[in-house]
Formats: sequence, structure tokens, C-alpha cells
Amino acid sequence: MRRDLSERTLGILLLAPAALLLAVIVVYPIATLFVNSLYGVDNANPAAGEQFVGLKNYATAFGDERFWDSTLHTVLYILVTVPASLVVGLGLALLANMPFRVKWPVRLGLLLPWALPLVFAGLIFRWFFEYKTGVVNDVLMRLGLEPLPWLSDPNLAFAAICIAIVWKSSSFMALMLLAGLQTIPRSLYEAAEVDGATKWQQFVEITLPMLRPAIFVALIFRTITAIQTFDIPYAMTGGGPGDSTETLAMYIHKTTLDFLDFGYGSALAALMFVLSMAATSGYLKYTRRSSGRSGED
Amino acid sequence: MKTWKILLTAALGTAFAATAWAQQTTLRIFTGGQQRPDVMRKIADEYQKRNPNVKIEIEVGGATSEAQQQYLSTVLSSKDSVLDVVLIDVIRPAQWAAQGWAEPLDGYLGADRQKVMGQYLKAYVDANTVGGKIISLPYFADAQFMYYRKDLLEKYKRPVPRTWDEMMETARVIMEGEKNPNLQGFSTAGAPIEGTVCTYLVPLWGMGSDLTRGGKLNLDTPQARQPFQLYGRMKQAGVLPRNIAEIPTDRIRIDMQAGNLIFAQSWGYVWNRLENDADSKVKGKIGVARLPHDQGGQSATCIGGWQLAVSAFSKNKQEAVKFVRYLSSPEVSEMQAVMASHLPVFPSVYKDPDVLKANPWFAEALPVVESARSRPVSHQYPQVSDAIRSNMNAYLAGTKTTDTALADMKSRLQPIFR
Repeated sequence: MRRDLSERTLGILLLAPAALLLAVIVVYPIATLFVNSLYGVDNANPAAGEQFVGLKNYATAFGDERFWDSTLHTVLYILVTVPASLVVGLGLALLANMPFRVKWPVRLGLLLPWALPLVFAGLIFRWFFEYKTGVVNDVLMRLGLEPLPWLSDPNLAFAAICIAIVWKSSSFMALMLLAGLQTIPRSLYEAAEVDGATKWQQFVEITLPMLRPAIFVALIFRTITAIQTFDIPYAMTGGGPGDSTETLAMYIHKTTLDFLDFGYGSALAALMFVLSMAATSGYLKYTRRSSGRSGED
Repeated sequence: MKTWKILLTAALGTAFAATAWAQQTTLRIFTGGQQRPDVMRKIADEYQKRNPNVKIEIEVGGATSEAQQQYLSTVLSSKDSVLDVVLIDVIRPAQWAAQGWAEPLDGYLGADRQKVMGQYLKAYVDANTVGGKIISLPYFADAQFMYYRKDLLEKYKRPVPRTWDEMMETARVIMEGEKNPNLQGFSTAGAPIEGTVCTYLVPLWGMGSDLTRGGKLNLDTPQARQPFQLYGRMKQAGVLPRNIAEIPTDRIRIDMQAGNLIFAQSWGYVWNRLENDADSKVKGKIGVARLPHDQGGQSATCIGGWQLAVSAFSKNKQEAVKFVRYLSSPEVSEMQAVMASHLPVFPSVYKDPDVLKANPWFAEALPVVESARSRPVSHQYPQVSDAIRSNMNAYLAGTKTTDTALADMKSRLQPIFR
């Protein structure tokens, strides 16, 4: 009998709790999801029983117009809100990074939208855009314009939801970018000033390149949350009018919790997971390539 | 000596408290925010007074039927025992039976079965019985009525409209005469929510048709187009609010209460709020009548109401059933009618003098409730509801035509009613 544990055994023992935790809260649910997606767990039709249906749920999804529509809506939300919240977030971060004497009002303003639960933000904006009592139509009418049916016109509803999402998510972007901004050494700007560079040149030549890693991390996080867009359109329109603002996450929620079709819902969730992985790996590949290039410089 | 006495008393006291604690049962009942939890609290307090060993906790959930069911699906799919009694919408018993969420009550009623079930309105015996089993007992009845501004109809010397066209004409005359930009003609549920299913079905039934016929989908009829065309006409006449596609059930009550509506299609609870709420601008100015119909049709309405189910996962089923039987009694039906204008599920309670004093229109409500029709019964009802309400909503928003809305509705309903 050896009294001392070998270094290898000790390592495994120390890692075990973390690995076990990961297995229980990450690996097990995801595996269950994939297994469920192979079953016809149609709880609304229990007489048929739970049957192994292979890839049938996936075949159904590919032929399901509503799946493609909700995926398209999700992609549109990503394409509009990710760049928009990056631009707004960068602006906010630059503002917060300015040498104000009293810093906390700016920081508080930055944190507040981020700290607010998503569904609250959705409800608040729903009231803003309400047809008869909303503040947006009130402003339009004071300007002598016609009130607009923001939440019952598909295009206006899309615009209203995008505005709400950008408002909500920009502060998170700003926080990540602010952290990045504060790592840029002041000496670079001082040197640039000595060389006679304008503020704009400083921004393009120093700030943006130095900020690139932070921007990528922020973009990855924002894109992943954008793929999962649920709360704000759910609270603002409930997917309406018709299904014109329904996202993939909302369709999954409806399939599982309203229709109780866990098999099909799991298949849809698995497809969303694939979408999410594809987007993330795209970003990662790009960052790896660009960081490789900067290493050669 | 004194110390001994104190110690003895303390010991005895603790012993009593412990036995009382052991006998104390806590029942948790779930209700939606719109089903007047305040009134349920008063009823539960009365029950606690008579049954000191029972403590009733009331959990209040979402404002819409779907929001409540989404929460309940999560709780019950995980077989959680936290809820003992659940108040469910009249459309749910079939799904609850199929899922095995409700404890069938047949065994608990035993020999009383005939006596208990025989006293309810027949529609509620049918609604709560699935495959011969009693899934739940009715708490209160409901149906959609036409609420109207008595004062405005008198001012313009118009009769209570019987057809949709008469209603539109009257609304137009009053709107032109009043010149109040906030005053709208007619409102009904238009948002993508459960109530919008009735918005489609009421005119359809009024024409003598139905969604299904002999279990098969029945939408290839000229009548299936009628509801869309009716609301299209109302929109054109400017009688419907422009944001009709955003209107959920309780918004209709709020608009009526603020004096901004002439006609409204809504449920029984509205009366009590219009007559009693402190901020109501229309106290004493409201009339209730049957819903209008198309020329050549007849008035139809959607049956509503809320049912009491005992959770199959409850740990206190005996006590829960006892409480449910109390909540589903003529006495409680009367309390609800007076305090919340909830329509009774017992024909006799409609004639009760206290009930009629609080709700004079109940005298004519009984035949309406008796003739009210059920939304399609299916264990896949959520899919049925979604197909109807999202297409009705899209039509009202103007994003689909009659043809596309009806075609989309059919293609989603086809797999369910094969």
C-alpha cells in the first residue's frame, strides 16, 4: 500500500468535483435534449405512447414553414441588433471612459438597462409603443403626425422590438468595451498627439485596433443572446401580428410548453444549438486568424 | 412549586401545539389574476373558520389563460406536489385528462355522484367530464355578452341592436354625434390570445356553422369566411379600434370603464367592475344583452368559466376534494355572484334575490349561458387555439386577407382533425 497519492491521481481527484458538476448541469441536460429529440414524446397525444422515431422530428422541422419563418426572423434580429448595439455600446463606452469628475452617474446609466430583467424592458417598451396611450405616438401627434400602429404592423413591430433590444443590450456591450478601453495605455495617445495625429486618427489607429479582442468577445456574447431572443418580443407582441415577429426560441417555447410536444421541441432546440455553434465557431475562427496575423506583424 | 407549575404548563402547551400542528393541513390553490383572487380569499377565510384544521394558501398566477397554463405545464410535467387545487379554464379538462394531471373525482364522490352532478347546468357537466370520468368541478360559469352604453343609446334614441349591421349603424351615429376622438364603436379580443378564438367562432356559430362537423374540419363553407368579412366591414366603417390586433381581454373592460367604448363583446366579470370600481366613469350607464348576429342568423356565444381540478400530485387529496366541493357549492356560487358578478353554475342561484339585486341582468343571463357553445374539444386544444387566434389576429392587423388567413388556419388544423 502506498501512502502518497501519485500526482496524477491527485490531479484527477481535484478535478473530479468540477467535472462532475459540469456533467450534471451541462452534459446531462444537453444529452437528454438530443435523446428526446429522437422520440415522439407527444404528450398531447399520450395514447400513441412514447416512441423512438429516429430523425423524423428533424425531417418535420425542415418541412415546417413556421420553423423557417421563425429562424428567418431570428436571423433578421441578429443582423440588425448585433451591429446596432455594438455601435451604440461603443459610443456609451467612449462616453463613460471620458475623464468626468463625477463618474458614477454615467456608470449608473450604463448599468441600469443591463440590470433590468429582459421581460421588464419588454413590458416598458410595449407601453411606449402602445397605440393610444404610448409615449411614442404622443410625440408623433405633438409633431403633427399620424399615430402609428407600432405593435400591429409587422414592419413597425419589428422596428419597435429592435429598438427595445438595442436599448437593453447596448449597456452590456458598453461594459465589455469599457473594460477593454481602460487597458489601452495612455502613453500611446500621448505619443500620437506628439506626432500630430487628430482625435479621429487616434480613434481609428489606436483605439479600434487595441479594442479588437474586446469587440470580438462582446460580439460573440451578443450574437449568442441574439440567437436566443425571446423575452422582449414575447412581452411586446407575443409573436404577433399573426406569427410575424415570432423567433425560433418563442416557437420552441410554444411547442414544448403550450403544445407539450417535447420531442419536436427538443429537435427544434437542437437545431438552435447548431445555429449557435455555427455562429460562435465562425467568430472564433476569425479571431484566431486575425490574432495569428497580428502575431506576425 | 411555582416553577413546577410554569414548567408543566409550558410542557402541556407545547404538546397541544404539536398535536394541533400535526393535524393542520395546508392546501395551496392556484388561480389566475383575472379570476378575482380577492374574492377567493374571502371564500377561503370562511372555509377556514368552519374547518380550523385547514389553512388555505392562494397562489396567484398570470393574467391570461395561456400564461397560467404555461406555468402549470412546468409544475405538473415535473410532478411537483406544491399545488393541491388548480383553477383551470373551461377549455382545459380534455388536455388535463390526457396528461393525467387531474385526480379523477369519481371515487371521492362515490354514491353522491348523481346528486352532485345533477345540480349543475348541463354544459358544465359535459365540460368537466372526459371519457366518462369527472376531471374537475365547476367554480363559476361564464359566457360572452354585449355590453352597451345605455345612456348613449337613449340619447340618440336607438334601440338595443340585434344584428351586427344595426350595431355598426348605431355606433356610427353615436360616434358622429359625440365628436369625441377617444370614443370607439365596438371592441372584442384581437391580440393573439385565447379570447380571440371566440372572436372568430361567435359569428361563425351565429351563421349556424361550426369549426368541425362529425369530428372533421368544416372550413370549406361560405360561413367560414363570414367572421373575417364581418370584422372587415367593421374596420372599414371605422367602428373597430385601429389597434384591435393589440387588444387583450381585460383591455376591453378598461376602455369601457374609461367611457371610451359604446359596444363591447366580453365576459360576465366586466359588469361588477364597471358598476363598482372607484374609477369607473360609466356607473349606472351600462346595459347587457345577447351578442348581435348576422341577418338571417341567430345570436350565439362562447361558453367560458373556470373549473376546480385536484392535482394528481397533491399530498392532501382527501382534504383538497373536500375544499373543492365547498368551492363548487350553491352557497359559494352565490357569494361569487354578489361579490364579483361571476355567473352561477346552478340554475337556482340565478333567481336568488341577493344575486339579482347585485346583477339585475342575471334574470336574462340564464338562457344565454344555457345556449352558449363550447370551443372545439380536443386534447390538442392549444394547437387548435393557436391556429385560430394567430390567423384571426393577422387578419385584424391587416397582414392577411380572408383567403390567406382561412387557408393558413385550415392547414394548421387539418392534422389535428383528421
